[in-house]
Amino acid sequence: SVAEIRSGFTAIKANIQARDPIRTLSILSYPHSLHKVKSSDRCCITHHLFNFYVDKVFKHCKTEDLYVNRKISSIANSFLSVRRRLQQCHEQNQCMCGQESTEKFNQILANYERLNVTSAAMKSLGELDILLNWMEKSP
Amino acid sequence: EDALLPVPQNISILSINMKHFLTWSPVIIPGEMARYSVEFQGEYEREYANESWIPICECSLITATVCNITEDISATVAYNLRVRTAVGARRSKWGTLKGFFNRITTSLTPPLMKVIADGYHLLVELEDMGPAFQFCVLYWKKGQESRMQQKVVKEVGSVVHLDTMEAGPDYCVKAQTYVESINRSSSFSQTQCVRAQGGRSVWL
Repeated sequence: SVAEIRSGFTAIKANIQARDPIRTLSILSYPHSLHKVKSSDRCCITHHLFNFYVDKVFKHCKTEDLYVNRKISSIANSFLSVRRRLQQCHEQNQCMCGQESTEKFNQILANYERLNVTSAAMKSLGELDILLNWMEKSP
Repeated sequence: EDALLPVPQNISILSINMKHFLTWSPVIIPGEMARYSVEFQGEYEREYANESWIPICECSLITATVCNITEDISATVAYNLRVRTAVGARRSKWGTLKGFFNRITTSLTPPLMKVIADGYHLLVELEDMGPAFQFCVLYWKKGQESRMQQKVVKEVGSVVHLDTMEAGPDYCVKAQTYVESINRSSSFSQTQCVRAQGGRSVWL
C-alpha cells in the first residue's frame, strides 16, 4: 500500500538524498510541479510514473548498505503491488492518457535522461516523497 | 567439502496476524555448532533485478532455527525464501522454501476485546495489533440483533466509546479485524454483553 511505501521511504530518505549531490535539478518537479496536473490526467500520470520507477529507477539504486537495499526492495515490491491495481484501471479504460499528461511525463523522462543513469535513479528515488505527497493530495 | 554440510530441512512459514516467521529443522553436526543465514527474493528481484537475493542481516549466522521476516515481507507479492547452514567458513547449499509466500495467506485471528459499561456508557478496549490493522465493531441491544450497529476503528489507542445505554437491557458487542493491504478480515470475536446500572460497571 502507499502507506507502506511511505514508511519504507521515510526510513532511508536521508541516506538516499545524501547521495544526490545535484540540488539544482529536479526530475519530478522541473519545470512544472506535478501539482499542476488535471484530475482527469492523474491516473494516467500515476500509472506512467509507477512504470518509470519499476522499469528505470529501482534497478540502478543498489547501495553498499544492506539495510538501505532491503528498504529499496520493500518499496519496489510495494510498487509492483500498487501498479497491479493501476493496471486494472488502465485495462478498464479508467485511466485515459490525454496530451497534457503525455507531455508532462515526457518532460520527466527528459529530466531523467539529462543525468547519468545512477545519479538520475538516485535522484528520482530521493524525490519519492514528491510523488507520494501528490498521490495522497486529493485533486 | 561445502557439499558435505547438510542443507536445512522442513523449511516453512508461520504467519499469523501479519507477523511472518521462517522456520526450519536444526542441522545436527557432531562436535560442531551449526549456524544459519536467511535470504529473501521478492517479485521485483525475480522480474527486474536478475533474480537477486537479499540477505536478512538479523538472521545472518544465527543459531536459532527461526527468523522473523516480517519487516522484509512488506508488499502483497510473492516472495521466495532460502536458508543455508554455516560452520566456520563452510557453507551448505541453499534450502529454499517450497513454493512462494504471499502475506495474503496470513492467518487472521479475532481481536482480543474488553467491553466495559462505565455508568451508561458502552465502551470497548481493543488489542493493539499494529498499524496494518483496523477493527469492525458490531454492537446491539440484546434481542434486537436486527438493529445491529457498526463502528470502524482505524487506530487503536484508547478505549472506544460505542453508545450511551439505557438502564435495564443488556448490550452486546463483537469485533473482527480488517487488514487493508491484503483486503481480508478475521472471523468475529466471542460476543460480550454488559448492562448499565447507575454508576457501577457490570460484567455479565
